Amino acid sequence: MPLERDPSGLSIVPVSDEDLMARVAEEDERAFTELVRRYQARVTNLISRVLNDRISSDDLAQEVFVRVFVHRRNYRRGSKFSTWLFTIAANLAKNEIRRRVRRRNWFSLDALQEVLSDSTMQLADPAEGQDVALQRGQLQESVGRAIATVPEKYRIALVLRDIEGLAYEEIAEVLGIPGGTVRSRINRARGMLKRKLQPLLRREGMP
Amino acid sequence: MNCRQARPMFGAYWDDEITQAEREALDAHLSSCRACRERYDALARTLELVSGLPRVEASPDLAERVLARARRAERAPDRLPTPSVRWVPLAAAAALLLVSGVVAVRWNRTHPGSAGDGPVAVQLAPSPVATSAAGNEATPVTPANGDAQIEEAQLVAGAVPDSLFDHSEDVEFILDPVTVRRGRAHPATRLAPPITRGEQATITF
Repeated sequence: MPLERDPSGLSIVPVSDEDLMARVAEEDERAFTELVRRYQARVTNLISRVLNDRISSDDLAQEVFVRVFVHRRNYRRGSKFSTWLFTIAANLAKNEIRRRVRRRNWFSLDALQEVLSDSTMQLADPAEGQDVALQRGQLQESVGRAIATVPEKYRIALVLRDIEGLAYEEIAEVLGIPGGTVRSRINRARGMLKRKLQPLLRREGMP
Repeated sequence: MNCRQARPMFGAYWDDEITQAEREALDAHLSSCRACRERYDALARTLELVSGLPRVEASPDLAERVLARARRAERAPDRLPTPSVRWVPLAAAAALLLVSGVVAVRWNRTHPGSAGDGPVAVQLAPSPVATSAAGNEATPVTPANGDAQIEEAQLVAGAVPDSLFDHSEDVEFILDPVTVRRGRAHPATRLAPPITRGEQATITF
């Protein structure tokens, strides 16, 4: 992380995202590389969890940062960089979901049913037995798949909150909706997810 | 606190977004209500599973790839159609015509005797753009042969006083400097190269 001596010269402080972005707007490519380095994991993870698609998430994360660079002069100084960045990422993820729905490849109604039933079957497979613990990888795969079946507008809010850990207010800014709507979407998403994961929870001895 | 009051608060409880008084009331309810406790535990376990998902790592070369693509994207032209873009070729053609005309007029003015130095071929070739504007002014030159051609060549070569051959009218036409030069290269014959009409002008600089 680039460090700068503060004006008093007494201590070294890390350069803020916003200052880096201001430098990017002045064609400083090193500042841009630093911003990518800081956020690449979070952006990739966000997209990957929203789409449940590791391979596409890499390309889309790349696209997010390309847009940051191309639109660097549109960044309003004073606004939080991460909010701006996540807005771009959420919009791209949303577009990608809609594109897939249009193409009816991954998320056609049939495919959705398939994913859903497949996920439920996996979670409730009696052949594995009550006392056989699911492998960690299988468990995570099932959870990832269950998230992917939550409707888009709830899913993005859920991932921003429960995976990326954004504050409600920041999610409201990212999604451009009121804070109350964010809360209700997240509550609904959590409820849906809980129901989808019910078979898995039962195996763990939960009612 | 009863179940109806407690359940809507589960999310805020998980997020730790409730007041101390609310927390104490909810804790008291959960310890006495098994149904609500099971519901809350199921929600908490769900959210633990979600937040416990492994982080997907970005490719190590992402920054380099992004920068390379961003530079390319910078150079790419804006794909949004703007009305002005469509007029650019037309405007350029019009500007070229105007410049050609002005150059031709100035050339004729700065070389007043040039018409008498040798045959000067003025290639009449209204361009598609200039045709309509020039249509009224342009007197078509009839293709000549035999005596008529010689007569016309002599006429162009200066047999007629300059005052009767007003070059200022030629601003409406494209003058081909190459043809002009070629025409001046035949003083002995004093014959103009064949005049063609109605063809696309070739403008060479």
